[in-house]
Formats: sequence, C-alpha cells, structure tokens
Amino acid sequence: MVAIRDLALEYQQVAGGASGPIRVPAVSDISCQLRTAAISAIVGPSGCGKTSIIQAIAGLLVPASGDISIDGIPVRGVRPRTAVIFQDFGLLPWRTVEGNAELPLVLAGTRRARVRRAERRRRVDPVLDELGLSAFRGFYPAGLSGGMKQRVAIARALVSEPDVLLMDEPFSSLDALTREAAQEFLLQVRRSRPLTILLVTHSIEEAVYLAETIFVMQGRNPGTIRKRFDICENRLESRFAIGTGDVQDFRSSPRYLELCGSIRAALRESGGTDDGAAE
Amino acid sequence: MKHGACAGLRKLRGILIALVMIAALWETASRLLARPFLPGPGLAIGALVRLVTSGTLAVHAGASLGRVLWALAISFLPAAALGLAAGRSRRADAFVSPFIYIVHPLPKVAFLPIIMLVFGLGELSKIVLVGIIIFSQILVSARDSARRVPRHLIDSVRSLGATRLDLAIRVVVPATLPDLLTSLRVSLGTAIAVLFLAETFATETGLGYLIVDAWSRIDYPEMYAAIMALSLLGLALFIVVDGAERLLCPWRLERS
Repeated sequence: MVAIRDLALEYQQVAGGASGPIRVPAVSDISCQLRTAAISAIVGPSGCGKTSIIQAIAGLLVPASGDISIDGIPVRGVRPRTAVIFQDFGLLPWRTVEGNAELPLVLAGTRRARVRRAERRRRVDPVLDELGLSAFRGFYPAGLSGGMKQRVAIARALVSEPDVLLMDEPFSSLDALTREAAQEFLLQVRRSRPLTILLVTHSIEEAVYLAETIFVMQGRNPGTIRKRFDICENRLESRFAIGTGDVQDFRSSPRYLELCGSIRAALRESGGTDDGAAE
Repeated sequence: MKHGACAGLRKLRGILIALVMIAALWETASRLLARPFLPGPGLAIGALVRLVTSGTLAVHAGASLGRVLWALAISFLPAAALGLAAGRSRRADAFVSPFIYIVHPLPKVAFLPIIMLVFGLGELSKIVLVGIIIFSQILVSARDSARRVPRHLIDSVRSLGATRLDLAIRVVVPATLPDLLTSLRVSLGTAIAVLFLAETFATETGLGYLIVDAWSRIDYPEMYAAIMALSLLGLALFIVVDGAERLLCPWRLERS
C-alpha cells in the first residue's frame, strides 16, 4: 500500500529581479492511501500539483513536510520497483524500442554488477512480445505512432518488474480512439500483474472508467485533495480477478454518468477550471 | 541504409549542380573581364591537375589537413566536456559563462601575433589558433545545447535510478550530439578561413602558403587551383562530419 501523510511539496521558481529563486508551495495537507493492486486516480485542474505528487512518490521530489511510504517503508529517493510513465512518455529518441525497454536493466547494471545482454534479452523479449512490440524492436521512437510510443513506455516500466506504477497524464497526447485502446490495454496489463497504479489525469471520464478510487484536487499553489470517490464497480474483486473474466464496459451504465457528473460538480465547486496555469 | 544512400545521392547531385553553376558564372566573368588575374575555370583546373600529378598538392593539402585535425583533436573534447558541464551545473556555469561572454565575441584571429609570440613561428602556433576558434564555438554550442535538454527526459531516466554519470552519458551527450556536430561544421568553415591567414606566415607548406606563393609569382591559374583545393578540403571535411552524424545519430535519419 502507498500511504501519504500530511504531505507538503514545494518547487523553486526563478523570480524577476535580483531576488533569486523563490520557493512556491505546490501541494499541502495531502493525506491518502492507495490500495495495493488497485488503480487510483487523481483528477484536478492544471497547476493543482498532481504531477508534483507523482514526482514525490517516485522519489524525484523531496517533501517539504509529511511523508510517503510504500508497504510501510518510507520513500527516500528513487525506488527500484516504482515505475513512472510520463505525459510525453519520456522515451529517449536515440534508443530503439528495445534500447528504451531495456534501459532499467542497463542502469541497474551500472549500479551493481553488469546485466549481460543475454539476461537483458531474456527479460525484455517476453514484455515486447506481450505488448506487441517485437516487430518494432529496432525502430526509433520518431518512427512510431503515439499509441506505440505509449506501449514502449509501458514496456520500459514493466521490464523493471514494478509493484507500483505511476502514470502522469499517460493518454493525454493520444487521439480519442487510440486513447480508448490504450485504456483497455492498461486494464489488460493490470489483469496480468498485481500492480498498484496511480493515474493522474485531466479526464474525468478516464478516471471513472479506470480507477476504483478517485481523489479530486482543488486550489493552486498549494493544491489540496478536496474529495474522494470510491467506485465499487471498478474494485479489484469485481473487475480484476487475475487471469479470469472479461472487463465489463462500465461506460454505458447510468452509474458511470452519475459519477462523472458528481466529480465534475466537485471540480466546479472548487473553482477547478483550467485557466491555463502551468502544472 | 537504402534511405541513407538515396539522401547521399541527392546531396551529391546538389553539389554537382552547384559546382557547374559556379563554373559557368566564373567562365562568364572571366570572358567579360578578360584580365590575367581572372583566368577561366579550364585554366585553373589544368593547373590543379598539374599540382596533383606533380605531388605538390598532396604535400600542401596534407599539411593544412594535419593542422586542422590536430586543432580538432586538442580542442573538441575539452570544449564539449566543459560546455556540457556548464550547461548542466550552475557551479561550472558560474566559471565558464563569464569567460564565454568576454572571449567568444572577440575575433580570435586578432590573437595571431600573441599566439606566435607565445608558441613560436612553427606548427604549434597555427594549430593553436585554429584550435582556439573550434574550442570557442564548440564550448558555446555545448553549453547552450546542454541547457536545452528536455526536463522530461532527465526526469524519466532519473526515475529509473540513473546516477549523475548515467544522466551525462545516456541523456546529455546523445541529446546534444547533433548540435555539437552542427557547430563543428560551422567552426570548421571558420577554421579553414583562419588557416589560410595562419599559413601565410612563417611556413612553406599548406594551401594558404600555396595560394600566396602563386600570387607572388603571378601564376594566377595555380593561385585559383590552390583556392579550389582549399574549398575542396572544406567540402571533404563537411562530408566527413555528415558521415559522422549518420553514424553517430542514426535516429535523426528516421525523423527525416
């Protein structure tokens, strides 16, 4: 379980004049728990600090106060079994599909004993096969569609055999149909592994379709969690019996529309419309 | 590879067309002026063939090429390393940037007398002058390019547990390599121009010397032949840098 307690985050911003960088609060009073092997989502307007929370859980941002723990162990820096998929996928343009997918193993090799190429292939090949990327292993990201790039980003995340997967607006740059396919793909990946997933998104519909717990954020500098929604239809037990059952399309049900409406209302009440402020 | 070969052929065709057009303009100007200091391209090419067959050109072109390559060898890697460090580290930047602001805008060729006083009249002063020009250009380019490495790429690789050295080797260097090679092309052009000047002093080898020597002997066809050889040297270096880019940055071919 990922537990966040009284979290406050700050970032440095360069101010005009000679005053130098100033510390700007990103989020404050964030307390929540992400259930093990469940998909949780954070929705909120731009600038409310969603990405900062992802960075803090990933160990890329040190909290100003409060703490984060995963399975009871405090997060102090990057954790090998936490994978992150960034909004623009974060693929290295100069590495092929295979090169990007094996990067966690290459980096692990530089920290400890070198991971041999045969061992890397043994771990990367099944993931590329599973994600339908084997035929594209020699391609560079520039030659791939948005959906394929996203699969490569997921492949890279899965190669490190994570137990926590953090996704920052992972589908935002995809067109509507590719986005739906990518959502199904994420569910499929989740069905095959007991991953704890945190999804940050602007899309209420996406969050309601995928997550069993949704945290609605409000405010800006600092942002806070305003409300929590639990969606029993998406719960682990009913949806993700690993290795069995189909994913029911929840999107056509009245309950889905009702939940979307409630979350939209919560966002509106908190003044959560996007005025274009930077995240 | 096939795509790369087609692009190479297109480039070669472009170069040939440009050469034919320059030769046509040259011939026209030569006929219109009808003066000894502007012989037609036919005479100059004849002189070039004589220089090649007598082995003279190989000696002078070899000397010029050697100076450029030595200058490149002593300047490129230190400049790239210092520039990349300045682009990614505030501490290094605090040291490097003031130096860049003061020294980079100065015309380095103005230092020629000082360089000759310090390094003597021999080879070293010529190599140092060309090296300083390449160093300055690569330093600025490396620093600016390193600053532009996208934040999301750094974060993405950091999230995989990369150390600072990993980030430098696996993100910063490849991300800046295309800019460094572009900058190398620009600085080689300037370096060859300066090389001409450097080779007009205290030497009896090099294409710069050959040009001035032919000029002093009023052998205009040979003077133009030496100028053509200097241009061809520049062209050859450009082609080598293009080849290096294809080899070192194959992902850019996919984009094009």
